[in-house]
Formats: sequence, C-alpha cells, structure tokens
Amino acid sequence: MWTINRYPGAWLLPALLPVILLTVYPIGHALWTSLHEVMILFPGEPFVGLKNYQRVIVGDYFGVALRNSLVFTLIAAPSVVVFGTLIALFLQKRFFGSQVLRSVVLLPWVLPGAISAVLWVWVFHPSFGFLNGLMIDLGVIDTPIGWLTNPRTALGAVIVAHVWTQIPFAVVLMMAALSTINGETLEAAAIDCRSAWKRFRYVILPEIKSMIVVLLVYNALTAFTSYDIVYAMTGGGPGTATTLLSFQIWRESFSMYDFGAGSAVAFIVVLISAMLIVAITRALPSDLFAGE
Amino acid sequence: MQLRKLLTASAIAVGLAAQPTIAQDITLEFVVWNYSLETVQDNVAKFEAENPGIKVNVTDYAWPDYNDSLILRIRGNTPTDVVYGGQDWLPAWGAAGFIAPLDSVAPAGAIDELTKDIAGFALTDVTYDGKVYGLPYYSDTISFIYNKKILEDNGIPVPTTWEEVTAAAEKLKAGGMDKPIIYEYDQELPNFYDAFVAQSYGRGAEMFDADLNPLFADPGNGAYKQLQWLADAWSKGLVQPDSHESTIIPAMNTGNHAFTVVFTYVLAALNDAATQPLAGQFAIAPMPGETHSTLGFAKSYVITAKTAADPARAEAAWKFVNFMAGKPYTVAKRWAVEKGLGFGQLPLFEDQDVITAWGKWADVAALGKQASIAKAGTYTEFSSVWSAYFRPLLAQAMVGETPVDEVMKAGAQRWTELKQQFASR
Repeated sequence: MWTINRYPGAWLLPALLPVILLTVYPIGHALWTSLHEVMILFPGEPFVGLKNYQRVIVGDYFGVALRNSLVFTLIAAPSVVVFGTLIALFLQKRFFGSQVLRSVVLLPWVLPGAISAVLWVWVFHPSFGFLNGLMIDLGVIDTPIGWLTNPRTALGAVIVAHVWTQIPFAVVLMMAALSTINGETLEAAAIDCRSAWKRFRYVILPEIKSMIVVLLVYNALTAFTSYDIVYAMTGGGPGTATTLLSFQIWRESFSMYDFGAGSAVAFIVVLISAMLIVAITRALPSDLFAGE
Repeated sequence: MQLRKLLTASAIAVGLAAQPTIAQDITLEFVVWNYSLETVQDNVAKFEAENPGIKVNVTDYAWPDYNDSLILRIRGNTPTDVVYGGQDWLPAWGAAGFIAPLDSVAPAGAIDELTKDIAGFALTDVTYDGKVYGLPYYSDTISFIYNKKILEDNGIPVPTTWEEVTAAAEKLKAGGMDKPIIYEYDQELPNFYDAFVAQSYGRGAEMFDADLNPLFADPGNGAYKQLQWLADAWSKGLVQPDSHESTIIPAMNTGNHAFTVVFTYVLAALNDAATQPLAGQFAIAPMPGETHSTLGFAKSYVITAKTAADPARAEAAWKFVNFMAGKPYTVAKRWAVEKGLGFGQLPLFEDQDVITAWGKWADVAALGKQASIAKAGTYTEFSSVWSAYFRPLLAQAMVGETPVDEVMKAGAQRWTELKQQFASR
C-alpha cells in the first residue's frame, strides 16, 4: 500500500526533482567549475583546487567591487523596505484617485531593467538630463552635475535608479501584509492612542515584522546581485566607482573566457549572500522561521 | 465511382505529404547584433527571393552582450550558421574552433578574387593564422569630430595636435562651455579601447612590436603620452564622459560640446537634418598627432565550423555570405548609402551613389584620405581577454584613480603573462 508514512521519500520526489535539477545540479556544477581551469579557448579542464579563488581575490578589482557591492546593498535594501512601507501605508488610505495611484506606483515594476536604465540615464544626463535642467531652472546649480560621470556621485545615482525599480514589489507585499491586520485592532488603537507613530510602532509593526524580514532578505539579495541596471547606466564606471561583484562574474566568464574564475566569484557571492541572510534574520528576529 | 475518385485523391494527398523534404530546403541561422534590424531583414528577404530553397532565420543580441551571447550559443550547441564577427574576437573564435576559414566553404579561387578588393586594414581584421575567416559587413575608422560653427565663432583653428585640442578646449571653457570634449566612456565596450588606440595611432604610436611584445609602458611611447593627456584633460574638467554614442549624438547637438572621438559613421547621425537641430555643423578632422593615422577596423560575416563541416549547409551559408558581402557589393553599398556605414570593399569608394550620399554629411575626400592612412589593430587569440582586463585600468587612469605609469605597467605585464600562457597551451 502506497502511503506517505511508508514511502515518504517517494512522495517528496515530485517536489524534490525540480529542485535537484534546477538548483542543486547547477550549483554543484558551478562549484566543480570553480575548482577547475575552464577556459573555453583551451582544451581540457584540469583540476586546479582553490587557484581560481586565490587569483580573483588578489586581483585588481575584487576589493573595490566587494566594497561597492556591500555599500550598494546596505543602502539600497533598507531604502526599498522603508519607502515601500511608507508608500503602502499611504496607499492603504482611501481617497479620491487612490485606485489610479496604486496602479501608477506599480509602473516601474513592469519595465525591464535595461529600459529603466535608459530612462534614468536621461534623468541624470549632464547635457540634456531632466534633473540638471530642473536644478538649473530653480537656481540650485549654475553648471550641470555629472551624476553618472563623477566618481563621487555615480554610485548614489545608480542606487536611486535601483531602488526606484524595486519599490513597487515591496509596496505590493507590504499592502498584502497590512491587509491582514484585524480592522477592529486598528480601530481600538486609534481610540486608545492619538500618536500615529506609536500606533505604527506598537500595533502595526509587530504584525508586519515577518514581511519586513522577507523584504529585507529579498532586497539584500537583489541588490547584492544587481547587474542589468548598473551595467546599462554606467558600465561599472567611471573608473571603478560602480563596479560590482556581479560584474566580475560576467567579466571573468565572458570577457576573459575564464569560466573557472567566473564561477569562483559566483561562489564567493553565494557565500556572502548566505551570510547576509543569517545576519538579517539574526538582527531582526521574527516568527518567520519559528518552525526551525 | 465517387468513392474510387475520393480514394485516389486521398492517396495522392498522402503521397505528397509523405514526400521527403527536397535537398535544398535549408534554414540558415544568422546571428547579428541589433543594429538596423529592418534593413537586415530586408536584405535577407532579397537573398531568399534570389535563392529558393534557402531560408534565413535572423537572431539578434544587443551589442554589449553580443560576444558572450554568441559564445553561449556555440558552447550550448544551439544551431548557428552565419554570424557577425568582430576583429577583436575573431582570433579567439578561430583558436577555439568556433569558426571556419572561408576557403573551406567557398569555390576554389573565390576568396582570392574577393580579397583583392578589400582594404588592407579590413583584410587584416578578417584574417587569422594566415586564413580569411570573414568578408566585411562594414569597415570603418575612428574619427576626431568637431563642431565647425563653435570653432569659427570662437576664432579657434581646427586642432592638429592633442596639445592644440587642450588649448582649444581651455579657451572654450574659459568662454563658458563647461565640458568642451565629450568622450565615449564605457569600460565594458571593446570600442573604449579601440578609441584609445586610434588616438595613440594619431601620435604615431605602435602598441606592440613585431614579436608582440608590449611597447606602450614606455613613457616615450605615444600611447603612454595619450593616456597621460586624457588624464590631464579630465583633471582640468575639460571632458564629459558619456556611456554611448547614442547619447553623444544628442549631447553634441545641444551645442555644449565641441569635440568628440567616435566611429566615423556617427558623423552621419550627427549631421542628420531630419533629427538633429545642429545638423551640418559637424565635420571630421585628421586624428590629432604627428602622423594623423587612426584605427581602421572591419566587422564581418563569418561561418561557423559546424556549418562548414556539413556540405549542404556550408554551400548555402557561402551563398548567403557571398550575397551579403561579395560582388557586386550591393548590400555593402546599401549600408553605405542608407546608413552611412563604411565599407571594406574599395571599389565602392568610386561608386557615384555612395559619393553623392556621403557628400550630404561628410567631406568624402577627407574620409577617403583618413581610410588610406588608417591602421589595423593588433589582435591575437588572447587580445580580447587582455582588452577586458586593460579597459577598466584605462578607465581608472583617465579619472585619476590610478597613476598612468601603474596602469601601463600592469597592462604590459598582463599582456606578457597571457602571451606566455597561450603559447604554452
């Protein structure tokens, strides 16, 4: 008799097989590749141990790319969550045009990264960009600022563009979380407490804490592996101002044809991502992983 | 009777349906970067009309992702017959066995006949290990472009050396132009390095000696001097970096910049009266420097090794490449007339339609003179790997993140390492 108790492994297979095929195998293959010299221009794939890891870590770009990726993540992920939460709280209110506004807020979500990048290049462009034009018209500046071409402002500019693309998803999830809060609880809180901040701090926040953790983890991973929008806006420049670790994976693999080194960088990214997840879940305990 | 007719008709219909596909029914997979796809498709349609039985399926990738997308295609055994090739990738593709020499697919003598018409630098760019791997799709030079009106209004003569460019830019800046030079600056694009080589060639520099040893780390070398010049111009606030020619075109048309260094075909877009407000104000000048030479290059139609190994597909692929790049050069001429793309087929320089079309946006004599002194770059199996390493270093030196000396030494060292590594495999 086929029962779950007698053959638990067999019953799990339909769920496990896709995971094995689509996740475990590629990761395993990437690990194997990172330990071999896999250069598409050379025949053979000899085992080289940790040589690929050593080469990329002591290379010219690793330090600065790691620093940029961490700065990018540490600013972008919390920004997305904060702005996403604020916008979700605002959109929860019913007012004239609120339905239309909810749709408009979702617009950045439907744009591909490359399109968003082109849009933001036109916003930040020194010669014909909207932002410089506005600031000059308002008398804030006399000469245009090279937002994307000045090493001091480029990373900030691409973070703004990245955050803009990620906010809609955060808004949707946060609105879903807010909608699960009992209406009577909110009414009682409104009667008992006049401070909106205190109502948020003591009534709403505990209810949406799990979602905040989910969003922080998701956005930390998205930011740490961000590639398309930054690549299309600055190509990693000027100099190394916006060079991220994800660039190194691509550059090693496809520009330098060295899939071994590219996989080594990818594995380092995986390890750091895992550490980020642990750090976030430890720093913000919630009942999200209560079953562990 | 009716039943017999019906059965007969059915039998004929079944018989027709079961017939094997005729031998010449071939669909070629043609991979391109996404420049002017409507013209590509129209050229393909004309080829198909002239060659019944051969269909061509076009797949396009964005230019910045083209090389890696193509490598993934070929490594993943995705059917691929004819591709756009680049001079910087061609030796690596040849060494990896991705592509085949054209004489392995063309009728005897056909390649020799066609190469007689190809410009020297373009022929160098489509040749690897002594064999011709491609025929030019387009061939162009990198040009120093300036705004005639801005220079005339400010009483500035056209600069002939880089030092004169600095002096002109400083004068314009003093007169209120914030960034007189706009520079295509994207360290991930191969043309970022090509533009630097073109400027160095203007100074008469050689990047490598005959044995492929690097020369550019010598402070007396023109390339070293040019990088120093770029870093100085940057530090003086004369340069506005811009990631792509597509935004340099409208930026130059704001009148806020006087000089740029880009592919020559960009001049056609800059002077396009239908779309640009300052059309007609832009012209090319000889590349500043002692020799005024520049970099010439060729993009080409290349046939994959897998296709070359299949006689039927190889024959169809050759017909297609010969249609696109062979005599009477109809397709190359179309690109030149309609889009302003340069060409490697020298007879087109004497074509009246080309001269008339180009005369609308450029001084054709100046273009011809520039093409005659242009030089090919140095491309080896490992040069694209090295270029990917060196471009970010160049970018760092320009913005002052890393000293020029350090960048040039690191670039030379990496070149030597790669040369040894590839020689030992």
